[in-house]
Amino acid sequence: MSYQEKKSIISIVTGLLILAAYFTYTYTKYQSGVVIEGDLKFWATSILVFIGIGIVATIIIQIIFHILLSVAIAVQAKVKDESCDDKEIEKTIELEMVSDEMDKLIELKSSMVGFGVAGAGFMLSLVAIVFNYSPVVMLNIMFASFSIGSILEGFTQLYFYRKGINHG
Amino acid sequence: MAKKIVITNEIRKLRFFANEMTQQQLAEKVGASRQTIISIEAGKYSPSLEMAFRIAEAFNVKISEVFDYEVKGS
Repeated sequence: MSYQEKKSIISIVTGLLILAAYFTYTYTKYQSGVVIEGDLKFWATSILVFIGIGIVATIIIQIIFHILLSVAIAVQAKVKDESCDDKEIEKTIELEMVSDEMDKLIELKSSMVGFGVAGAGFMLSLVAIVFNYSPVVMLNIMFASFSIGSILEGFTQLYFYRKGINHG
Repeated sequence: MAKKIVITNEIRKLRFFANEMTQQQLAEKVGASRQTIISIEAGKYSPSLEMAFRIAEAFNVKISEVFDYEVKGS
């Protein structure tokens, strides 16, 4: 499995964990009766907090992933050839993590999927308001669609790395 | 409707004749990742013209000796 595929899987797992954590937290609060149904402030605060947690968690997980991957590559290089020096190991790590035109194309096409889902979710949230659902439903649809869009972006990347991609 | 063009390549053969150059070595020469070279070789990705020229240069051959195309469909 390539570096890019591993990175996509990490991004998917992070997205899923954050979405699951959000729904678990809000559902538990809602079920316990601490929050009344129309309490927009609670939902807005929860969404803002989880966006923050999402950003921080993504950064931390990516850093840990890169450290672990670098260590794994270094160990592998040393096992293969005990005489290889630090410069060679550094070069191997750099080569493993290189990003080129195919990666950029895949990133572009998969981000289109992510934005498409997020856009569709935004439209759906407006439809929910038109059909007299509460603004809480609108907020949750928007948050869920942005999160699901990000997760699908990761899945699309994986798909393109496995199946290949063409211009146009 | 435009006919479908399938791009084929001889990278595997050229690597073999270039002292059994590895995919990683070719990737280093053209400034791409090994994943990209694997995809190009397998016909899963058609490189940009610039990268195609860089691949040809890595083997010291003309681009037409590396890449060819087939027109599919009527």
